[in-house]
Order: sequence, then C-alpha cells, then structure tokens
Amino acid sequence: MTDIVQRSRQDRSASLAILVGATIVAALVAIATFAPFLAPYDAMKMAAGPRLSAPSATHLFGTDEFGRDLFSRILLGARLSLGIGIAAVMSGLLVGALLGLIAAFSSRYVEIAVLRLIDVLYSFPDTLIALTLVAFLGPGMENATLAIAASLVPFYARVTYALSAGERAKPYVEAARLTGIGSTRLVRVHVMPNIGHSMIVMATIGFSSAILSAAGLSFLGLGVQPPSPEWGAILASGRNYITKAPWILIFPGLALCVTVLSFNLIGDSSRELFDPRRGRR
Amino acid sequence: MLYLVSRKVLLALFTVLVVIILSGFLIHVVPGDPVTTMMARSVTASPEAIAEIRQRLGLDLPVWRQVGLYVWRVFQGDLGTTVRGNEPVLTLLMQRLPNTFMLAVAGLVVALLIGIPLGFLAAVNRGRLADTAVMVVAVFGVSVPTFWLGLIMIQVFAVKLGLLPVAGSGWRNIILPALTLGLTHCALVARMTRSALVEVLGEDYIRTARARGLREHQVLLVHALRPALISIVTVVGLLFAYLLGGQVIVENVFSWNGIGRLAVQAMLERDYPMIQGFIVVFATSVVVVSTLIDVLYSFLDPRTRMQ
Repeated sequence: MTDIVQRSRQDRSASLAILVGATIVAALVAIATFAPFLAPYDAMKMAAGPRLSAPSATHLFGTDEFGRDLFSRILLGARLSLGIGIAAVMSGLLVGALLGLIAAFSSRYVEIAVLRLIDVLYSFPDTLIALTLVAFLGPGMENATLAIAASLVPFYARVTYALSAGERAKPYVEAARLTGIGSTRLVRVHVMPNIGHSMIVMATIGFSSAILSAAGLSFLGLGVQPPSPEWGAILASGRNYITKAPWILIFPGLALCVTVLSFNLIGDSSRELFDPRRGRR
Repeated sequence: MLYLVSRKVLLALFTVLVVIILSGFLIHVVPGDPVTTMMARSVTASPEAIAEIRQRLGLDLPVWRQVGLYVWRVFQGDLGTTVRGNEPVLTLLMQRLPNTFMLAVAGLVVALLIGIPLGFLAAVNRGRLADTAVMVVAVFGVSVPTFWLGLIMIQVFAVKLGLLPVAGSGWRNIILPALTLGLTHCALVARMTRSALVEVLGEDYIRTARARGLREHQVLLVHALRPALISIVTVVGLLFAYLLGGQVIVENVFSWNGIGRLAVQAMLERDYPMIQGFIVVFATSVVVVSTLIDVLYSFLDPRTRMQ
C-alpha cells in the first residue's frame, strides 16, 4: 500500500518535471524562431553600445568586447544550440536505430560484430568522440554537428538493440515470422510501432548531451566559429574579460544550463514514467 | 575466477586494438589532403617538406596497408612524431599523463565524497522531501556545463576572493579543477548510491537484521551500506572514463598541464600524429582502469565469483 502511495507521488513529481521541462523547451523554441524580432539590437552589429558595459536598462545583459548587445546575441544563440541539437539527434538516432535494428534482426555474426563495435565506442564519453572527430574533420558548425551526431550513434544503437531484442522473443514476432514475411517488413510493420514511443523518450535524452557537446566544442574553438553568437563561443571570448566583464561569462552559461536542464527534466522523468524497469524500485 | 579475469583482459585488449585501428583510419576522413591541411598553418611549406611528411606518415601507400603499418608501429611503442617540432608523440604524452591522472583521481575523490552521502540521504528518506531534493540537485548537477562551472569558480575564488591561483600546476592549483570535476560528476555517484542502497534495503537480510533488534544506524551503516558500496565500485570505472573525458575541457580552462590540454592544442594546430597518439593513450588508460576495477570488483564481491 505504501508502495502504491509512494509510486503515485513519484509519478506526480515526474509528470510535474516533464511539464516544467516541456514549458521551458517550448519557450526556447519560440525564442529561437522569433529571435530576430525579439532581439532589441542586431546581434552581429558592432558598437551597438559602449564596449564592455555592465547590464543596464538599455543593454539587459550588458555588451561584449566589440560593443555588441549580449542579450540579442544570446537570443540568437538559442537558434544555433537548438538547431545543432535537433540535427545531431535526428541523424544520430536514424543511424543508431538502423544499426541497432540490423544487429537485432539479422544473422548471429552480424549481431556480434555490430554489438562489439558499439560496445567499444560506448565505453568512451560522447563529448570526447565528437572532439576527436572534429579534430580530423576540421572546425566549423557543419562538421561539429556531424561529429556530435556520430558521437550519439553508439548510445542510440545500444538502446534500440536492447528494445528490439526484448521484442524479438515475443509471440507476435514469431507469429509474424511464421507468415513468411521478411525482416525489413517485420521491423517496419510489427516491431517499430511497439518500440517507437520508447525511442522518442531516448531521443530527448540525447538532446542535452548534444547541446553540451556543441557548446564545449565551440568553447575550445573547434565548433561554431566567432562571430557567430553560439553560447560556447561567446563564453570562449568572454574568458579574456573575466575580471572586467563577468556578465559575458554569466549569461551565456545560464542560458546553456537552463536549456540542458529542461531537456534533462523531460528525458529523466519520462524514462522514469514510461520504463518501469529502470530508476524506480 | 581465472577464466573471468582472462576474459576481461582479452576484451580489454580487443577494445584497445579496435581503437588503434580506428585511430589509424581517422586520418583518411580528413577532407582533402591531410598534409596540405597540416602545412597550411605553417610558415614554409616547400614541396620537399610536404613530400618528406607524406613519406614519414606513409600516405602514399594503399589505405589498408597504412592502417596496418600504423597498428604495427603502435604495438612496438612508436606513436610517430609531431608535425611541428618533430618530437616523439609518446614521450610528450607520457610526460603529461601523471598530471592528468592526478587531477582525475582528485576529481574522483571529490565526486565520491559528495555523491555517496547525498545518495545515502536520498535512499534512507526514499519518497520523502530529502529524496526529491537530492534528485533535483542531481539533475541540476548534470545540467551544468563543466567548463562554465570552471570559469565561474575562477571568477569567484581566484578573481573576486583571491583565495586560489587561476592557473598552473602546483598543489594549490589542483583544488579548483578537482572541485569543478567532482561537482559535475557527483550526480552520477549519488544516483548510483541511491539505487544500490534502495535495492539492498529491500533484501531479506536487512529485515532479519531489523528483526534481531539492531539499531537503525547499525542496520544502515553496516548491513546496507557495505554491499551497496561494493556495487558502486562498478560505476567508478565508468565515472573515471567520464572524468577523463570532461577533463579535456577542464584542463584547458585551468591551463592544467595534462594530456587534454596537449590534445586540444594539437587539434587546433591539426597535428594529426599527436591527435592519434592522444586517442590511443586515452583509450588505453580508460580500458586499463576499468578492467582493473572490474577485476577488483570480482575479488570484493564473492557473489560474482560463483557464476
């Protein structure tokens, strides 16, 4: 009895966390979409105000070393972070899911080969995989997105494999097999509808990691290049004004935290709600 | 037992081999010609110098032979030489590796010292306010970018309060980067501690211990925490890998003289042999540490030995 009470209480707090997370994400998407209209100044315009001026009524978040309005730059930066996040998660999920499904529904040898390779890659932090790939591809937004997408592939492949391996043993798959359909059709028509919702939950978990990686790469000078208002890139230049203008450090970091936090709230809590095997005991 | 250990070691060797092959392969994903890209940043790039580097890297051979040659050389302990300065990559990396390990261990200690008590607190008060509070803090913890926390630490403790040095490699310099790493990684420890402890608390022997009339703190600290701590050992390997990964950025924030700083410098300069060497050394460190921990775990927990 106490277990049920505890469960419903945990369910309620998980739902609340998802609601809060989703609201912030919706707001961020709105900001990203309408950034040019919301921003009081042109984010790229130099000398929109005095250089390195502290936050005030005219410049909400202050200005940077070129006198650009920080508030406008951060609003516009939402576009870059969310855009890279969406592109990387979508392509990473696509490739990862394909690999996972191939491992689960083809011959035993393919399964072992794919799983071993994924396991090797999975034992390294994804930011580091993205970092080394970018080192070879070269810096820039497209390459960073590609590298981050690739860094998410092992995670998505593993999750998809685990989900489909669970389905594989179920009677409906066996029944479908007995009707004589091929593996491709089996996956598309019968398996996908059953694991699709879990994969959407997994997609949100990749988001926060993709956004963090993107900011980290840009901070090191290997991702989005200045003068683009990417949050990590702004932080990298703000580093040089740590004594004179700490606001250049504070606001982009806060924007990053809020974004990552909202995706984490959604991802963690929905995993707790929809996947009874994990987290809650 | 011997079977278990040799299996782990074989798996570790396999992982390192795959990483070396991948790292040998990576130079071929460079768009365009790697040598021209590398030399683009240097002052003088005579055709002779370019030909010399091509020859040194074996870039005129077929791809599979180049990769094979790379793997062969790595197994002989030859990671090549840097493009700039022509210094042996392995020596440069090995000089910095102790610094990197020192910081990683310090970060690990901070993460465990903060994470275990938090997870304990959450598990004991499961479903109550303290539990929710700890888990909320944990979500916040994983959401803060490591490099940003590092910058804020510098701003507060070094610039504003002037308590600690901004950068360098003395013993006082390790405090801020270790705190930064520990704080951003303690959430994982707290979660693991919580779920391990919650699981243990549901075991029959806990009920028995309580039925015997033992005091609650005795039940929690002796009967529950000990087996829970053993299962935390398993995440330490994973945690160490993530710490080392996060450290690549943290070392750059704090100008800590480790392999992460060396690697990013090489990445910005496009010094490919150096980057490849970093990948190999990093991967080997991660694999060695996690294998050691796996083996240690099977010694600590008699239950795994039975299987």
